[in-house]
Amino acid sequence: MNAIILSAVLGVVMMFSSVLVSNQKAYKGIALVGLLIILIANINETYNGPIFEINTYNMLAFDGFSLFFNTIAIVCTGVYFILTSKQIEKVGGHTAEYFTLIFFVLCGATILSAYNNLLMLFIGIEILTIPLYILTGSKKKDLKSNEAALKYFLMGSFSTGLMLMGIALIYGGTGTFALEKIIPAAASAQGAPAVTAQTLSFLEVGGMLLVTFSLAFKVSAAPFHFWLPDVYYGAPSVFTSFMASVVKAAAFVAFLKLFIARAAGTSVDVSKIIGVDWKMIVAILIICTLLVGNISAVRQQNVKRMLAYSSIAQAGFMLFAIFSLNEMAKEGILLYAVAYSLATIGIFAILSRMKDYTFAGYNGLAKSNPALAFANTVFLLSLAGIPLTAGFFAKYYMLASVMQTGHYMWLVIVGVLFAAVSADYYFRVIQSMYFKNSESENEGQLEENPSNIFKITVVALAIVIILVGVFPNSVLYWLYN
Amino acid sequence: MSATEIIFWILSVLALVSGLMVIFSKNPVYSVLWLISLFFAISGHYILMNAQFLAIVNIIVYAGAIMVLFLFVIMLMNLSATAEPKKKVWMKFTGVISGGLLLWILLSVVRSSIDMRGKIAEVKTGDIGLVENLGKVLFTEYAVPFEICSVLFLSAMVGAVVIGKKEE
Repeated sequence: MNAIILSAVLGVVMMFSSVLVSNQKAYKGIALVGLLIILIANINETYNGPIFEINTYNMLAFDGFSLFFNTIAIVCTGVYFILTSKQIEKVGGHTAEYFTLIFFVLCGATILSAYNNLLMLFIGIEILTIPLYILTGSKKKDLKSNEAALKYFLMGSFSTGLMLMGIALIYGGTGTFALEKIIPAAASAQGAPAVTAQTLSFLEVGGMLLVTFSLAFKVSAAPFHFWLPDVYYGAPSVFTSFMASVVKAAAFVAFLKLFIARAAGTSVDVSKIIGVDWKMIVAILIICTLLVGNISAVRQQNVKRMLAYSSIAQAGFMLFAIFSLNEMAKEGILLYAVAYSLATIGIFAILSRMKDYTFAGYNGLAKSNPALAFANTVFLLSLAGIPLTAGFFAKYYMLASVMQTGHYMWLVIVGVLFAAVSADYYFRVIQSMYFKNSESENEGQLEENPSNIFKITVVALAIVIILVGVFPNSVLYWLYN
Repeated sequence: MSATEIIFWILSVLALVSGLMVIFSKNPVYSVLWLISLFFAISGHYILMNAQFLAIVNIIVYAGAIMVLFLFVIMLMNLSATAEPKKKVWMKFTGVISGGLLLWILLSVVRSSIDMRGKIAEVKTGDIGLVENLGKVLFTEYAVPFEICSVLFLSAMVGAVVIGKKEE
């Protein structure tokens, strides 16, 4: 609750600071101090309970999982601000407003981690995406950015419409918006009469399908991914970075929470009775997403577009959590949120400073900027899931959670195969940086020489990713303490 | 068949016909007019379900305000048959396939239903739609989502300023 209220308040503070504070540089400071306050308040809530005692009528439930995800999201946003606030200032003349919108997105993310009611799911998703439509189109003179914003807005509204339709059908079927409905399937484990088709309304099944499709759109699972490459490519690189990291992780947490709460209604036994095989639906989503993401990413010549497709591929891996729905999946999605968000923020921080976004633009970066090239290599290795980086354990947890469910070995094998394919396009960037020479020797690859502070923070971030990769329990320890 | 049931069926037929006409009208202005008639039919359903407040709000907000906006946008864009971009055949084909798949899914869940067979909507029951009860619920049970919606509107407003304001 603290994080929701404070991030909304901080958004308002940033909004007013655009009127009251004329110094452009001050916004970053205000935003960072604000994030620190939110972080402290959230950690305080984890151990001592919320400051604001509000009766939410069980619409929001703050458990260890959601509060820990909030901490991750806040920390990632902080890293994002530190690394890229300079680029945010360059996008346009409304720096403070961009920070405002990012705070609102954070508010949406914290709602999504705690929602316990379909109404809150809808509001959270909307708060998460509406500021993003604006941030996508914030480069007003750039036609690509305009096109991306319009595309994102139209497609996003359509999928939101699907979600509303689904929620309405679920409400019609169950008579409640509450996430957890005790259906007989849960009771059948204790010897009570088993679930029959009679107890599951068809409205609920249809509604659940529509909500699933809509959420699959929000997390860009194939075949609902068509908006993503254009939007990620057209949006200003700084905001792509935020969309691909914290926002995506928050959407996945929402997806996972919905499916865990409805696990009884979507389990294999119930599926047999109603004739809708949920495991197979999610498996098809996973395989489509991995296939489309990886195969398209291999063919790209532009690093930013490659990262957009690779983010679809990463979404395929995160979908494994929605497939397996056990404790390990919960741990895995948190670890994935850390590993994927930090690496993506790091890569985009460097990318947004490049002159040329193609692979050739990275040629010879290792010679001119060895520190940045090293950090970038670590980030890319983490995304590819090479051992000793955080990405390896993130992927490992995802696959292991599927193994735990028992019967789906073939899905694990498919996952491992596509992880191997993904190494191809990540390594092409490393190859450009280390083994190819820049054509224009005297000019650098970067727009301007990065400050030493930037270099140090990027390298520090890379070291953090390696540390998490060596000791993944250092992250998960906090989930249980 | 009682009077309410007769009204229910008339309203349902009106809603379905207007919904179909929204899609099939060639002229977008006619589409909007059919949409208004659809909203009136739905408002009639709300009244049958004893939800007067929702019925009135539906007419004022949707049939009134939103539809006027729709009409303005359509007139500003000056849509006519000649200005319409030619759609490719394969595009229509994929549209039919994806729309048909959705229809198939919805139909198959309806077909597999047992609990809804032989029933029509329950009319004249419940009093949640009355202004008093709605207000009570809105400011007790649903106070949190109600307040959180303000963040949503605020972000939309900030966004409108960011997008609309002239860049120096």
